Amino acid sequence: MTSDREQVRSLDDPEIMVQTPATIYDAIPPLTPRTEREAEFYQLEDGEMFLNLGPQHPSTHGVLRVVMKIDGERIVDVDPVLGYLHRGVEKICEYGDWHHAISNTDPLEYAASMFSEALPVLAAEQLLDLEVPRRADYIRVLAWELNRISSHALFIGWLALDLGGLTPILYGFAERDEIVEMLAALTGQKLLFNYMRIGGVNGDLNHEFLSRLGDWMSRAGEHINGQAKLMNENEIFVNRTKGLGVLDRETALGLGMSGPPLRATGVPYDVRRAHPYSVYPELEFDIPTRSDGDSYARYLLHIEEIKQSLRIIDQVLHKMPDGPVMAKLPRLLRIPPNRAFAAIESPRGQYGVYAVSDGSDQPFRFRIHDPSFFNLQAVGSLSEGQVLADIMAIMASLDPIMGGIDK
Amino acid sequence: MEVSEQDKGAKGKGAVATADTADRKAGTIILPNTTWTPADPEAYGGQPASIDHLKQLEFAEKGDNGRWGALDVVPTTADLLLDYLRANSLWPLLSGLACCAMEMMSAATDVNDMDRFNMFPFRASPRQADVLIVAGTLTTKMSGPLIRLWEQMPEPKWCVAMGDCTCSGGRYKRSYSTVEGIDRIMPVDVYVPGCPPRPEGLIYGMLKLQQLVIERRGQWQDRKVGPTVPDGV
Amino acid sequence: MRRTTDRRSLQHLDERLGDHLVVPAEAMGDTIELVIAPASVPAVMRALREDGDLRYELLADICGVDTGLTMQVVYHLWSPLSPDWVRVIADGLSRDDPRVPSITFLWPGAEWGEREAYDMFGIEFEGNRDLRRIYMPPDYLAFPLRKDFALADDASRGPGEGIRHMETPLPPGEVRANPVIRTSAGAGAVLGPDGELLALGAGSIALPEAPDAAEERA
Repeated sequence: MTSDREQVRSLDDPEIMVQTPATIYDAIPPLTPRTEREAEFYQLEDGEMFLNLGPQHPSTHGVLRVVMKIDGERIVDVDPVLGYLHRGVEKICEYGDWHHAISNTDPLEYAASMFSEALPVLAAEQLLDLEVPRRADYIRVLAWELNRISSHALFIGWLALDLGGLTPILYGFAERDEIVEMLAALTGQKLLFNYMRIGGVNGDLNHEFLSRLGDWMSRAGEHINGQAKLMNENEIFVNRTKGLGVLDRETALGLGMSGPPLRATGVPYDVRRAHPYSVYPELEFDIPTRSDGDSYARYLLHIEEIKQSLRIIDQVLHKMPDGPVMAKLPRLLRIPPNRAFAAIESPRGQYGVYAVSDGSDQPFRFRIHDPSFFNLQAVGSLSEGQVLADIMAIMASLDPIMGGIDK
Repeated sequence: MEVSEQDKGAKGKGAVATADTADRKAGTIILPNTTWTPADPEAYGGQPASIDHLKQLEFAEKGDNGRWGALDVVPTTADLLLDYLRANSLWPLLSGLACCAMEMMSAATDVNDMDRFNMFPFRASPRQADVLIVAGTLTTKMSGPLIRLWEQMPEPKWCVAMGDCTCSGGRYKRSYSTVEGIDRIMPVDVYVPGCPPRPEGLIYGMLKLQQLVIERRGQWQDRKVGPTVPDGV
Repeated sequence: MRRTTDRRSLQHLDERLGDHLVVPAEAMGDTIELVIAPASVPAVMRALREDGDLRYELLADICGVDTGLTMQVVYHLWSPLSPDWVRVIADGLSRDDPRVPSITFLWPGAEWGEREAYDMFGIEFEGNRDLRRIYMPPDYLAFPLRKDFALADDASRGPGEGIRHMETPLPPGEVRANPVIRTSAGAGAVLGPDGELLALGAGSIALPEAPDAAEERA
């Protein structure tokens, strides 16, 4: 205890510091740093402060929390905090059937469910060495490409929304709603389709789906051209995204990225061509690649991929063979002990699954590799030195979907 | 920073406290921002002198905290008008967590337009929002921020549980990291089931909410600040 | 299903990494599989990445597997020179204190993958600068994807049991009542603590059907 003389101070003293006890309302929990990187991050230089882009924010594409260390308006460092949507999908898959894994993996990539559903299907088919009927394969490609277009349309909308443009999101959702109504006619669901099955697909094409598809195809080209015309040469959009968040080839490969962010840096890696699956070897399409590596290049890649998808859908419709849509499989599916890795090209990148079976009807280990998880690591290095407003554009251009990131 | 016993006794107030010399920069006085308690425990009739939690606010009998007791039951024209005004301009908070958020966004955009019901401005700040549409699975990690959002919303406020995950846990009922239904942690007015519910379904739920507001039914009249589901369920 | 046709890569891998491999490199479906001990992870991954004939530059996946007997860390790589995946299984980590060297010096992007493996299994990656929980809250006590972490059943949660029993800390000295741990021979070769081979996975196509470690279901 200090002496009496030091205790008596005037309350008008300007050096009074009122200490507020740490409460749950603190944005940054006052933990002692657990790791080297945390200690480095939570060290404030003169003039810096922490700003919490909390889990609830219009631009975080779901529940992503980004703790930013800023110096004025410039970002010095970034620490993304994940896990606000971690639902334990991998564990739940271990407690269900191989067939249940299809609907369990649906909500992972909720903007493009056909791709996440395809994971347990492709893995099980590889484990069983199963031959899928050709018609089923073609229908799968059709569903995948339609879902890719709707997901890209949403990406374009969200990118513009994060930059402040309120119109392209309406275009994007109009496009997506039309495609998704079409898929609802095919699968019965608008969002979590539950359409892929081990050995094929759930049901054949029906009249309503085909008539909606034909209607839409006749207008799709104009729609995408309209969308491109709205944004490609738009001065505000180009100024904000050109030169923003430039990734180079070595960094992108080192971060384990895939999909449009990687192709924008010049690496022509597309799982459909690098490691072909389904009937993609028989279809003609290009892999759009750019070498700038900035947000504008990623945006242009998405537009070009939509055009390539339209091309694929056209070929698929012309080449569609007849036949069954599902292979004969027992309902109680026991897979002998084995392991398999299957990967597909989803709109966000390489979606992979490492499946281990143990002879029973439950997966032993069902590891889902989500591309947005690895793509999001780039946010740290890309946003250093950028202005606060630009971190939204960077995050949006990497196309994260928190369902997959958090599993 | 503890108020030492001797200080309290010597001065009769807990205002100025000493700090550990180790924690104090040279010359700075550090005042602990603790709740002031009166020296006489019976001074306020046993009630806590300062209300620092919404729960206590709920049960405080004194003061005007927006609740008029018996007068609430008697509908007046002004109240009816206020309810119509509130019902027709329910502004949701942007709180899309997962897949249901996609359908919520679809309900807000041009194909299924919620703007017809004046619900379009999705406010980003909870201070400006009326309705919390919880769209998507609630995990235990997210429940803290979500309750914080709910507490930050000013009254009158309503809550809509959209999707199976928020109604009951849904397909994630067995998971180790989800909350089985948001009514375990916050009061819910409208449940919109579905996985995900169609945008038309959400709009139906919002119209039901409008009906609740106009008829002054539902929870917010006499609701407790806290979960709908009792403990132990 | 695609069969790997890349005999050349298989040969290269055997030559360059022969002394690190526990079993010879084998082709399974469209993947070439390598099984190594955890201590050789940095050397093997560096050789795979930097060798001019191999050039496995793309890290496709990094994950942990709990086989019930041991823990494994499984890496998947891709090279522009070969149409096949390469799977590297670092087997033989103990289930009580799994440690493996980190590969963040080669692929900085493996940082989050390793954080996830730590969060879900408790595998410590030595050399990862940021090994903390990524999905679960920072004060979470259990490692969810381990085989001794059981999801609560509807039957085990009676009315009034609002707590998640797996997450309450046990008093010291007590063991959780879940003796049956699911194992699988499908997960790959099983290495002992000294790196010796205890059992081979039944999934390798190079071997006849060998009955191995008991398969128990949880």
